[in-house]
Amino acid sequence: MSRNAEEFKQKPDLPSSHFVDTRIYTDPDIFREEQEKIFKHVWMIACHESELPNPHDYRTYQHPAGANLFLVRGEDMIIRCFYNFCTHRGNTLLYDPSGNAKHITCIFHLWSFDCHGNLTDVTREKEGYQDRLCKEKLSLREVKAEVDFSGVVWVNLDDNCDSLESYIGGALDYLKEELSAEPLEVFHYHRAIVNTNFKLWHDTNSEIYHDFIHYHNRKTGMMQQGYFDRKFHCFPNGHGYLDSMEIRYDAYEGVDGQRKLGWPKAPDACHKFIDLFPGITYNLRSPTFRLDSMIPLGPNKVMIEYRGFAPKSDTPAERKQRIQDYIGIWGPFGRNLHEDLLAVSGQAQALAGVQSHILHAREEGLNSHDEIGMRHFYAEWGRRMGRSASDPYAINPLIP
Amino acid sequence: MEQNSYDTEKSIKELIYQSCLLLDEKKFNEYLALCEEDFHYTITAYSPEVRAEMIWMNEDKASLKKLLDVYPRHNSDHAPLSRHTTVYTIDYDDDKKKEASVVSAVQVFKTSLDGGETSLFAVAKFYDTIKLNGDQPRLASRNVRLDTRMLGLGSHIPF
Repeated sequence: MSRNAEEFKQKPDLPSSHFVDTRIYTDPDIFREEQEKIFKHVWMIACHESELPNPHDYRTYQHPAGANLFLVRGEDMIIRCFYNFCTHRGNTLLYDPSGNAKHITCIFHLWSFDCHGNLTDVTREKEGYQDRLCKEKLSLREVKAEVDFSGVVWVNLDDNCDSLESYIGGALDYLKEELSAEPLEVFHYHRAIVNTNFKLWHDTNSEIYHDFIHYHNRKTGMMQQGYFDRKFHCFPNGHGYLDSMEIRYDAYEGVDGQRKLGWPKAPDACHKFIDLFPGITYNLRSPTFRLDSMIPLGPNKVMIEYRGFAPKSDTPAERKQRIQDYIGIWGPFGRNLHEDLLAVSGQAQALAGVQSHILHAREEGLNSHDEIGMRHFYAEWGRRMGRSASDPYAINPLIP
Repeated sequence: MEQNSYDTEKSIKELIYQSCLLLDEKKFNEYLALCEEDFHYTITAYSPEVRAEMIWMNEDKASLKKLLDVYPRHNSDHAPLSRHTTVYTIDYDDDKKKEASVVSAVQVFKTSLDGGETSLFAVAKFYDTIKLNGDQPRLASRNVRLDTRMLGLGSHIPF
């Protein structure tokens, strides 16, 4: 029997951890609160060190909390991060997404900064400011930046945040051997702006039950031995990973099934992934590795950055194979990515203007189709937001 | 092909426009019939973010046919695409005119399923190699060189 409007709003007869209020995906006030309470305090991925290999190389980054940043490698080879903001009159310092600049000079009035954030030159300084200007008080705003074992560069806007190591905990250990075996570089980079809420994208990366949407995964994964034997493992701070399995590429008729190339230190044809709160996914589907990071732009708009990685030591033939495998599944014209994005944009379309609840309630012993990944994410979301995602408008939330 | 320059140029343009119309209509086998057996199709772009040339699609005729054959089994955005193409330049290999290199501007428009909104999906150029030594010109290779690198949901159908 179908439900009327009032019945449609009623909470499901389930534990509060097993469903969420749909308005967490659509409410602009909740989105602004997420920027303040979550994104201003968590470690986010800005780039990979291979994107700025030489002294004075820089890379811009649009931070999810709203700040425009840039990262620059110093002569000491240390990567530092700053607000992309001239302290004179607030103009953008670096416009291009990447480049090399020994002097970071604003185009507006030619104030210059060095790669330590120091203000080094003020045009017509003596004439305009006489001796009133203290350059030390007009240096750039630095943001915490750390490079992890795989060369990924992380940033955190909170000067008082925990260390990256403390934030990640042991969640990346599952891929540590594979991602530190050899120096890596980015061979594929693209972004997609999608009309959906960032959490819906992360939800999709957190539950494998949605493999039903993927013809490719149904053939190469779900119908293969070991698919349901995998367990999801939860880590502090909302992170988690799912056990690996062997992918049967030859079961899909759309692409060449012969996979002779693997990934350093990884089992043949493995599929390992890790989800990090609040919007990062590591996805190793041998022989390629994809890293997703999200930049939420609004309650119903997210920009997702996709990077494809390969060992720097690849021969031309190996690189060609890796690229072909990556783009066939995960590129903008790949089989799976389009389906995932179609689904999450469809969710956003359906959720618009709706007040109801959606389920995260599958319990299958933490295996592939258990929805523990989403429940684990929303436990952390609730901890940071001070209330449960199942009751986001609670007046007296029980969670501090 | 024994034609004067005007007829050759006209037939080249018709081939390129036909290739767009057939993909717009998802007539994949008819599209492939315009291509040589050793046809090579690529979509490429340059990323200023990572300062690297990128390949986003790389297929020969057989592999492209496989992908297009399984297209109906996938879940895809069915919002129709409309490829608007203008041939800019045609350069012939030599006086014998057995092959031509053709550069065309391409804009791909997407119309929402309810027909309510049409938006520009991508801007690109076609870099085509066209064989002229048969009865009709045929596509030997096509490189879709993208200016637009943010393609939203992406696409299961090539440009």
